Amino acid sequence: MLTYILQRLLWLIPTLLAMALVTFLVMHATPGSPLDPVAEGANPLSPEAQKNLAAAYGLDKPLWEQFSIFVGKALRGDFGQSFIYKTRTVSEILIDAFPVSLLLGSMALVLAVAGGVTLGVLAAVYQNRSWDYVSVSVATLGVSVPNFVLAVFLIVLFSFVLPIFPTGGWGEPKDWVLPTVTLALGPMGIIARFTRSSMVEVIRSDYIRTARAKGLAERPVILKHVLKNACIPVVTLLGPLFAAVGTGSFFVESIFRVPGMGRFFVLSMTGRDYPMIMAVVLLYGVFLTLMNLAVDLLYGFIDPRIRY
Amino acid sequence: MKIPDQQLALFEQRLQTIGLGRRDFLKAVGAMAAFGGLGFATSAESYTPTKPAPGDKLAKDQTFRYGGGGWYQSEPSSHDFNKDLYCSGVPSLFAGLMVFNADFLAVPWMATKVEGNKDGSVWTFTIRKDSRWSDNAPVSARDFEYSWKRQLNPESKAPYAAFLYDIKNGEAFNKKQITDPSQVGVRAKDDWTLEVTLEGPRGYFPVLAAYLAALPSYQRAVEKFGDKWTEPGNIVCNGPFVLDTWEHNKQMTLRKNPYYFGAKDVHLTKVIIPIISVASGALPYENNELDMTALQAGDLKRLQSDPRAGRDVFRYPFPGTWYLTPQVTKPPFDNVKVRRAVGHAIDRDNVVKVAQGLAVPAWSMIPPGFPGATDDAKIKAIQRFDKKAAIEMLKGTPFEGGKNWPKITLSMRDEGLGSKPLAEAVQAVLLENLNMKTDLEVLEPRVFRERLWKQDLQFVWIRWFMDYPDPHNEYFDTFYGKRTTGKRQAWSNEAFDKELEAGRDTRDTAKRLVHYVKAEEILQADAGYVPVAWVVRYAAAKPWVKGIEKNKKGEFVVDGNIYVDMFEHIYITEKA
Amino acid sequence: MASSTPASGTSLDVAEIVAAAPSAATTSLWRDAWRRLLRNKLAVVGGVTVVLLCFVAIFANVLAPRSYTKANFDSIYVFPSREFPLGTDQLGRDVLSRMIYGARVSMLVGLGSQVIVLLIGVPLGAVSGFIGGRTDILMTRFIDVMYAFPRLLFVILVMSMLGAGLMNIFIALGLTGWVGIARQTRAQVLTLKEKEFVEGARALGARGWRVLTRHVLPSALTPIVVSITFGIPEAIFTEAALSFIGVGINPPTPSWGQMVGENQQFLRSYWYLCVFPAIAIAITMLSFTFFGDGVRDALDPKMK
Repeated sequence: MLTYILQRLLWLIPTLLAMALVTFLVMHATPGSPLDPVAEGANPLSPEAQKNLAAAYGLDKPLWEQFSIFVGKALRGDFGQSFIYKTRTVSEILIDAFPVSLLLGSMALVLAVAGGVTLGVLAAVYQNRSWDYVSVSVATLGVSVPNFVLAVFLIVLFSFVLPIFPTGGWGEPKDWVLPTVTLALGPMGIIARFTRSSMVEVIRSDYIRTARAKGLAERPVILKHVLKNACIPVVTLLGPLFAAVGTGSFFVESIFRVPGMGRFFVLSMTGRDYPMIMAVVLLYGVFLTLMNLAVDLLYGFIDPRIRY
Repeated sequence: MKIPDQQLALFEQRLQTIGLGRRDFLKAVGAMAAFGGLGFATSAESYTPTKPAPGDKLAKDQTFRYGGGGWYQSEPSSHDFNKDLYCSGVPSLFAGLMVFNADFLAVPWMATKVEGNKDGSVWTFTIRKDSRWSDNAPVSARDFEYSWKRQLNPESKAPYAAFLYDIKNGEAFNKKQITDPSQVGVRAKDDWTLEVTLEGPRGYFPVLAAYLAALPSYQRAVEKFGDKWTEPGNIVCNGPFVLDTWEHNKQMTLRKNPYYFGAKDVHLTKVIIPIISVASGALPYENNELDMTALQAGDLKRLQSDPRAGRDVFRYPFPGTWYLTPQVTKPPFDNVKVRRAVGHAIDRDNVVKVAQGLAVPAWSMIPPGFPGATDDAKIKAIQRFDKKAAIEMLKGTPFEGGKNWPKITLSMRDEGLGSKPLAEAVQAVLLENLNMKTDLEVLEPRVFRERLWKQDLQFVWIRWFMDYPDPHNEYFDTFYGKRTTGKRQAWSNEAFDKELEAGRDTRDTAKRLVHYVKAEEILQADAGYVPVAWVVRYAAAKPWVKGIEKNKKGEFVVDGNIYVDMFEHIYITEKA
Repeated sequence: MASSTPASGTSLDVAEIVAAAPSAATTSLWRDAWRRLLRNKLAVVGGVTVVLLCFVAIFANVLAPRSYTKANFDSIYVFPSREFPLGTDQLGRDVLSRMIYGARVSMLVGLGSQVIVLLIGVPLGAVSGFIGGRTDILMTRFIDVMYAFPRLLFVILVMSMLGAGLMNIFIALGLTGWVGIARQTRAQVLTLKEKEFVEGARALGARGWRVLTRHVLPSALTPIVVSITFGIPEAIFTEAALSFIGVGINPPTPSWGQMVGENQQFLRSYWYLCVFPAIAIAITMLSFTFFGDGVRDALDPKMK
């Protein structure tokens, strides 16, 4: 087990390197240069000013050299100075922003799993009856409406019609509710459906019939046997869901003014903020890989058939 | 002293280098024209604080929440205007030697007096003694000497240092031709006197000193914290406000600078600026999380028709022009008849309908009410909407009858502000009236600019902001054919250029304007561009927000690129 | 079964036998699946809707009551009425017609991207799984790297590089979405490689290539089919997201995603501009999802 974990972690390094290389190349292949002024009406800079800036950013060196400099610095934790935000280094910006996205993502995921599993169980147990339909409806909403549309609906509903929550910000726990719910609805729907179908499958299976035939009461049967086995496929979902929550957060963060990492990525794209782009992609990569590893381990934990 | 017109060309150049060319030059020169050619006040009495109107009861909590709808929609890069005037920071933090008032007249601010020598090649600014930095250090001439030399210092890599190239040896120093900063012509003769020696007669120099690019920085903070000096806690300000907190990507708050000389007349004690994406629209404002916001198309009509909120909406001057540039080097627009046909095919009245109030039909570059605007029926007729004339124009071209059009791509820059619906409307009318099918290509701003300067775009939909129209820059900066760099299109015309030069070199204001009207006529007859619409902008402010300055025309003036003094004048009345 | 050694005997006989056996198995497999599918009501509804959508997409120019490009400046921002059942947009264009054409574009986005996904993912996964060895290990590592990329961010990255446009969206979505199907194809190939009937076919002398295409792939088809049916709505969703950010499809081409993304700002005034396309996307998502669920259940031999 330990060797497995170590192996996976060691593979992280070449993976990150490869990711960095791909991102670096795509980035430099994108037209539009970071030397162009950011502001709206600004004319382009004179050739001398451009040369100066290029030297300041280290962009006048050949690509392979730029990349190796980047890797060298990154290994020491220095992701450089943002091209756009002059008062902070990329590391400082991300240290501020990442925990915010992490918190939002975690809350959303917890809500999605808790809500989704509950709905799925209810739907499976009361198959084709009222709870089933409730569950399907909620699942439907989450899965079929893009979250930037959902966001506005929720704001209108809960900020204007029922003035309970503010339209955005991230100061107090009150501000956390709407963004979390918006972000959670999609995954919740998916988890609900998945739970339901895998539970239905398990319920119909032989060993459950045996348990029932043995005379066990319904509830312990459901909770102990069915749920545990049905959870296994749901755990496999967690990996991609982490990714979905992580990336979906961009829209939610924009609309609700949450100062997280997702917002930075697209802004750094249009601003051609190379150091920021590299750092964000790598951070996501590390995070996703670690999450996938955790999910795999969890999987092994739950399903006794799997051993590393 | 009146500023000679050939100096205006240099002035324009300075502003160009910092991207202020058209709009700001026009603003300033327009002010100069409007105020009898001087363009700036020489003593500090022209600067007036705002007193609350009689009957207005000041609220206990003078906190102002401002933003949204496009204002401060992204995190500022820094507040270091001295190094980078496009840092998107808060201008109210710093005070320059001069400042623009609501009529865009440059008035002394940190200076009390401005004196020029006979030919305007040496300017002396007397610094006021009663204003201090937020750490109680006096604002002295040495601060400005330091700041301007910092900007010119090649080590600073300030992108817009060319703004100060009028200063003697400024350009040489910046380009490393000389290395001794003491040779640069800005000198603090003593703590309170700043003497600026210029490369030559530059009657407009004091106006330059009012721009954001001339704002000072605080030496001790810069030396101690480097680029981080504009973070709260490190920053020291000499303006009416100080940066109190900066929750990155979330919100900034300002507090009053008690050592600012006009502090007793500044009513606001706190300003809160949340960073709100345009996607949120007017939601925060309507939810009472903001006191003033800019309005986009999606919210304008709705708010205007709301009985309560409707009174909050006001228009503010942000004149600009939407126009098309058919590229004369790319078929089918290499044929002037085709270009003229396009002009006749644009049904402007209908096109602006899609802007829902944020645009009006345009027949020339300069909107009515500004110097250089023309109501000449002859000009209006040149590119008037006339479907028959449009098709007539095509006779004799390979596209007669609106057939055989090649692939035409209409390119525009990706931005909000309703530009896309307008472009789509243009596409629709071209299709209908000329049978000209176009593909709309929405380019990222950087990509757009890159290709624009290369004149690589076949058909461009572009907007131009202008705050102060002085015809010289409006036309010169955009269309002058003899420019070597920074030409937006390939079109050029000898006669047009001559008129521009004549306008630039003529002293008499009335005679100047004649030249520019002629220039517009040539420009339209040769179809170097096709004017489509003039920009209109709206904002909303809650009823308890008062003190927004008005210009001579009675319009509200809000913070923009030139006038940046709004916070100093606003006060909050008690909420009923 | 006729006995024959690999090296001798009429190879024609062997081939026929090998060919006969799996096809018999396949037809009964497909027919079984079909029957199961029909019993699943939700899946049937989903499937019918999908077919309807394709119909609308194909015959858009016949079905749409008006031109989707013609601007009617006198009828701008008209709410749904008799004349314009779904209202008009900022140029006075009929929303209903735009939505009908939008079906075409959305279907194209969904299908086009999936075609590229399959073209990249299936061969990579199949070859990797089948050849095994070092190629496999290299492939898997490569897949892992791609998997670690947050998909939406990478799509945005690629779109910024390519610029906006329909073809570019196919490419961007395709380039970023093949990982899942590659993995699954590889897994399927791996498991099936060991299964008995492949052993049997091999024992009878069928060669590698044949084994792969005639025997392994048909069974590996299940996850492919499932992946497509889920991939299409996901592509439509992503396209909406791209349009929201501003790197999506260019006007005047209507796509539901673009209509939703562009008109999100009008949700509080001209709500119909965003709501109707959103409903259309929702219905598409759901039909594909239910249909996909049904297909997966039907093809799963465990479910009886």
